Amino acid sequence: MVSCAILKWRVDSPAPSVDAVLSDKSAQMTPKELEESLKEDIEKAYDPREQAVDVLYALQRQHGHLSDEAMREASRLLGMTPLELDELATFYDFLYREPVGKYVIHVCDSVVCWMHGHQSVMDYIAERLGVGLGGTTPDGMFTLLPTCCLGYCDRAPAMLINGRVYGELTGEKIDRILQELREEEPPLALDR
Amino acid sequence: MPKLIIDDREIEVPEGTRVIEAAEHLGIMIPRFCYHPALGAAGACRVCAVKVIEGPVKGIQMSCMMEARDGMVVSTTDEEAMEFRRFVIELLMLNHPHDCPVCDEGGHCLLQDETVSGGHAHRRTSMKKRTYRDQDLGPFIRHEMNRCIHCYRCSRFYQDFAGGLDYGPLRLGDRTYFGRFTEGRLESPFAGNLIDVCPTGTLTDKPSRYSIRRWHGERGPSLCISCSLGCSTVANAYLRDLVRIEANYNESVNGFFICDRGRFGFYYAKHPERPRRARVDVSEAPTPEALREAAKRLARIAATHGPGAVACIGSTRSSLETMGALVRLCETSGWRKPVFFSDPAMQRKVRTAVSRIDKRLHVSLREIEKADFILAVGADPLNEAPMLALAMRQASRNEAAVAVIDSRPVVLPLDFERLAVARHDVEACLNVIMREAVSDEDLKIAIEKLPGGADGAASRAADFYTGIRNAGEGLPPEVRVRALKIAAQLKAAHRPIIVCGVDAVCETTPALAADHASILSGLKERAGIFYILPGANAFGAALLSSPIGEGASSFFEEIEKGEVKALVVVECDPLGQFPDRRRIEKALGNLELLVVLDYLPSETVKQAHIFVPTNTHYESGGCFVNQEGRAQFTPPVYAGGEPNRQETGGAHPPRVFRSHIPGGGPEPAWKLLAPLGAAPRGEAPELRGNLRSILDGLHPAFEQLADSPIPPVGERPSTYYARFLAEGALHVGSLAPQDCGALAFASSDAGEKAPGVGKDDERLEIILTEWTFGSEELSSYSPYILQAEAEKEPCACMQTEDASRLGISDGDLVALRSAGGGGLTVRIRVVENMARGCIILPRHGRLAWQDLEPSPVQASVERVKK
Amino acid sequence: MHPQVLLQNFKGNRSASIDEYRANGGYEALTRALLERTPAEVEQMVLAAGLRGRGGAGFPAGKKWSLIPEGAAHPRFVVVNADEMEPGTYKDRMVIHVDPHLIIEGVILTSYAVSAEKAYIFIRPSYESSALILERELEVARREGLLGQNILGSEFSLDIVVHRSAGRYICGEATALLNALMGKRPNPKQPPPYATEKGLWNLPTVVGNVETTACVAPIVRNAITGGSGEPAFTKLYCVSGKVKRPGCYELPMGTPLREIIEEAAGGLPEGSELKAVLPGGVSTRYMTPDLYDTPMDFDSLAKIGHRLGTGAIIVFDQHTCMVAATLNIIQFFARESCGWCTPCREGLPYIRDILTQIESGEGKDEMIPKLRRMSEHLWRTYCAFSPGAVSPLESLLTYFEDEVREHIRMKRCPFRK
Repeated sequence: MVSCAILKWRVDSPAPSVDAVLSDKSAQMTPKELEESLKEDIEKAYDPREQAVDVLYALQRQHGHLSDEAMREASRLLGMTPLELDELATFYDFLYREPVGKYVIHVCDSVVCWMHGHQSVMDYIAERLGVGLGGTTPDGMFTLLPTCCLGYCDRAPAMLINGRVYGELTGEKIDRILQELREEEPPLALDR
Repeated sequence: MPKLIIDDREIEVPEGTRVIEAAEHLGIMIPRFCYHPALGAAGACRVCAVKVIEGPVKGIQMSCMMEARDGMVVSTTDEEAMEFRRFVIELLMLNHPHDCPVCDEGGHCLLQDETVSGGHAHRRTSMKKRTYRDQDLGPFIRHEMNRCIHCYRCSRFYQDFAGGLDYGPLRLGDRTYFGRFTEGRLESPFAGNLIDVCPTGTLTDKPSRYSIRRWHGERGPSLCISCSLGCSTVANAYLRDLVRIEANYNESVNGFFICDRGRFGFYYAKHPERPRRARVDVSEAPTPEALREAAKRLARIAATHGPGAVACIGSTRSSLETMGALVRLCETSGWRKPVFFSDPAMQRKVRTAVSRIDKRLHVSLREIEKADFILAVGADPLNEAPMLALAMRQASRNEAAVAVIDSRPVVLPLDFERLAVARHDVEACLNVIMREAVSDEDLKIAIEKLPGGADGAASRAADFYTGIRNAGEGLPPEVRVRALKIAAQLKAAHRPIIVCGVDAVCETTPALAADHASILSGLKERAGIFYILPGANAFGAALLSSPIGEGASSFFEEIEKGEVKALVVVECDPLGQFPDRRRIEKALGNLELLVVLDYLPSETVKQAHIFVPTNTHYESGGCFVNQEGRAQFTPPVYAGGEPNRQETGGAHPPRVFRSHIPGGGPEPAWKLLAPLGAAPRGEAPELRGNLRSILDGLHPAFEQLADSPIPPVGERPSTYYARFLAEGALHVGSLAPQDCGALAFASSDAGEKAPGVGKDDERLEIILTEWTFGSEELSSYSPYILQAEAEKEPCACMQTEDASRLGISDGDLVALRSAGGGGLTVRIRVVENMARGCIILPRHGRLAWQDLEPSPVQASVERVKK
Repeated sequence: MHPQVLLQNFKGNRSASIDEYRANGGYEALTRALLERTPAEVEQMVLAAGLRGRGGAGFPAGKKWSLIPEGAAHPRFVVVNADEMEPGTYKDRMVIHVDPHLIIEGVILTSYAVSAEKAYIFIRPSYESSALILERELEVARREGLLGQNILGSEFSLDIVVHRSAGRYICGEATALLNALMGKRPNPKQPPPYATEKGLWNLPTVVGNVETTACVAPIVRNAITGGSGEPAFTKLYCVSGKVKRPGCYELPMGTPLREIIEEAAGGLPEGSELKAVLPGGVSTRYMTPDLYDTPMDFDSLAKIGHRLGTGAIIVFDQHTCMVAATLNIIQFFARESCGWCTPCREGLPYIRDILTQIESGEGKDEMIPKLRRMSEHLWRTYCAFSPGAVSPLESLLTYFEDEVREHIRMKRCPFRK
């Protein structure tokens, strides 16, 4: 007899509605709206530097990646030099200084997913998309990258695409996901 | 004071000393990469590991991260510690290229030293080495990222120490890259120190690339004469070619660092056009002949028109020897007393400043770092004396409050409070701050402590403070609010320092600043005054100049009047460095004889009837007194001559024996001066003993110089951080107060009046000023300095409101015209952070600022149609 | 069924709402603490309960709070570390998803205890869903007067913001996290000064783990209402790897490893035999089957030279190549090293290369002492990252040296067909 609660967290069905999603908002805003909203956030922060990563995120969503121009824009908004921001942008995993596809597929390659065959997931996606690790599909839809443990080890192997995690991947499931992403804007960032 | 044992030897060190420093006191040099005395510990390289046998945390520890504690027992030779250090070196060498033969750091590379001393000689891995793409970091510094060992010294110096924000670490892990956002010149004027700070060949001196091994050259301690601070340097010469300047450690002046103007500004000494042969009229002549001819003609003019028809102009870049010899020459020949400053006002300002530095108020550059409040009055440190700005930054990092009262758009690598007021309001601001920061009670206490209270200074001071009760009335409200904030900071301070410039201030300001500093010194634990003077030896020049208060401009008037017929110009370029060029040109044209002695290929040299080449201080050495009165002897570094590279076009030195040095004609100016005079010629005394004989009786201050030791010529550094000049340095200090010193407390009425700038008046006051690069005389001959500032077009600054009133926008080309008919065309930068009613114009080599009359000068502004 | 404290409001596929949280006694601790108890008393309650930090180091939480010097400057900050990136660990996500208000109440109580004015929840990018849930529930709490000015009519005011990180393992290190929050490069910073004195913007700052923070409200409620349970002494164990039911289980602190794996996680799949276990994420040492009955708590593990870490149990079976597993782990660390100090920056890629050679059949016998030497020296680094990184390596060499040697002898990985 199992004498404890067996808990397993899944959000297969839509989780409680989430009203404000910065991610999608900033991509939809006009540059002017975005600038105003970022300025407001910077104003609210204890120190502008606190918002550095947030601003970089927002501009990345707006521009697709952090181009030199986007970096200069961030520098202007935050009053930090482009170099100071580049020190951060080049440090973090989820800030892209090079052009990426509309969807960035981060396949977890840490030890639990590794045990559950992350390599075959990676190979499968690479084959399906016809790109290697780090590559972007010619239509600009997908970029394939590795990432470290996503914290979904209970549902390994897992991958993360634009803020949403997909677990217990199989070839079939991957096909479905890629198909979905190609066809429609997915609902707000929820784990699947 | 903790007492500890390192390698079986006991040592007592001050509280807070780190173990790595304590070991150094014992002469034990624990390996280090990231630790640097000026930058502190980072704990990054892990190569300074030692074994702690007794102490709070035992075992292998980093000696840079650990403070020495009482009873600690440390071993640097413990097998485990040595094994760990070897391991770290091996790791660092995993990716380091074996390109030492073509690396400029080779031979003075810390990584080489530590690798050899650690015994790591065999590569044990077949791993591929990491490679990077290098960046073009501008004309000064060469980037070779593959050599980087990631000690973070560069970014810690550049960002933390120097406040630069355009170079730093990018990416992470073993991909960490030190560089810029995009390629381009490093913006900080202290960037050159990265060359010294980098323990490998990652950042090396670009101009001297592939031209010297440190042990090949003639290498010796020297001095920077590109501003009045007198930073210590090490000069390296090879095959008659001065190739590289490094910073030399001087614990009282520049510490470990120098600015880029000092590091890359020495090329005048090997300028291809440097005049190396004497000339009489249009034909070359041997130096003795030219001297004889000059002496003959000078004697004739003196005989015909009286000795008063001969005048001499020196400059503040000459050594004390040369200045002294010039004074003596004039004295013995009965000529007019020589001048060293461009105009009488400047001479008076510098003399006032010099007279006010006494034991109480004297502060060295290093002490600036320890101040907790700095008020810069009419000073633009980054442009006028760059290393001062770096020292102020260190104070600021230690939480000192910094404020600047100046008309110029002052930029500093630190946060500061700015009072951007017109030149004639600077004193009012200073008075408001002092009046507010010093209560009546404090004032009483301070006055009692004033030196010379007996001679009425006390009552003058009291009256003065009563008089400035309403000093702030004429000031704009926002300025007053800020002044009050600064006053509150000053009130709370324990170690305030007033920094005062003499260039862009009213004549009374230097004295006023010293007066206020005097009051503060009676109230605070320590208070000081720190002047910025015009030129490396302006202090010495002030001591040697006559109290009559003449300047070079006075002589030009005399020439116009026909009173002066012959002019001897010694290491000075009136045509290039003084305003009012047309008038000077005309005056020189009217002379019967112009004798010029110099080492620069200047305009004035070209005009000379008789020219005699002189030596730079790299070749002849000399004594220079910096702005705080510190006499520093700099020995000759090399014998001079035309660089082999120039003589042979870069080929191998010719394999022929010669008895002379090619292009080695020039001699030190002081040796050449005596033969010019009417006095019986003596044998030229040797340098070592000469200073006394030259300066004897010229000023009481020099008596101290008599027996001072001169460091041995050409000494090589025996340790990593050599300290020669610091020990050889001597503080000349206070000039006897009978001159013009003592507390002035002149009523501010004596100050200059505000030029009448009305709302509709289109005339603005022109304030001539310095730029870090491009305005200073010597460094302007450096192709690398020129290259560095080439991208920045010289421009004049104008306040936003003035600009909009006059309909001028940023980037406009304007014609400035003075009432006297002078003028020039210049591009305008519109700036918010500066005073209204004036235009800030750099004395830039690419601007014809000399076409204006001497300041104060006002000009109309008119936009030039394209 | 063991008592559930942190996960008591588990609602299947959705998060518990504020009403559901309240129905089980939620916000009672806060209401009463704010009105009836001083901050010092709250601090004392947590101290007395002996709550130890669940981020991995196990430092007593109440003690950490008390390190803020008397009369220290304001504003003060509380930072909740939800940058959970230790491979195998997902307990923070679980708590946030199950019961976001448990965290929110914990943050408010922590902030009250240390008189902080602002709190941050620092969250990793792959937990975007958690960030969204938190932001939504924070808004609910704000509407309910549980955040903002004069909370519940008391003198105490607080705002909580969610700060999204852009993803690096090192950000989970408290000092690196603070640097990250200040828009600096997230390099760790060795104390002194300690964060409690000079943390965020040089002001007093308390950094706490999500699970630790989640424990605060139950402890305070328990102390105020005089309840009898020992809420501080359950632990969230995340089980993953070769088990039938990978998941996050709330069990009494000190539950034996065997019970966690066999009973909670349903044991290993058919045909699998236990080979090794990482008890607390990849920065801990491999445990071998002979330690199967070890109680999983800080002290019991420390006694036998192991660490509880994050309590993330990763199970390996006999089909797993331990060299390859270790290589994977080292690869992770080599990629995530911040690059500050030499042994970590240069040593980990070096180890990675050697292990790659061994795994691909190019190994040599002399590599084993080399690896041993590395694993020893990599303890002497600037922060705890590298000592954690070499823990699996060191235990690989201790417990599975034969397997390593077999790779070298066979000139291939014996597990590869």
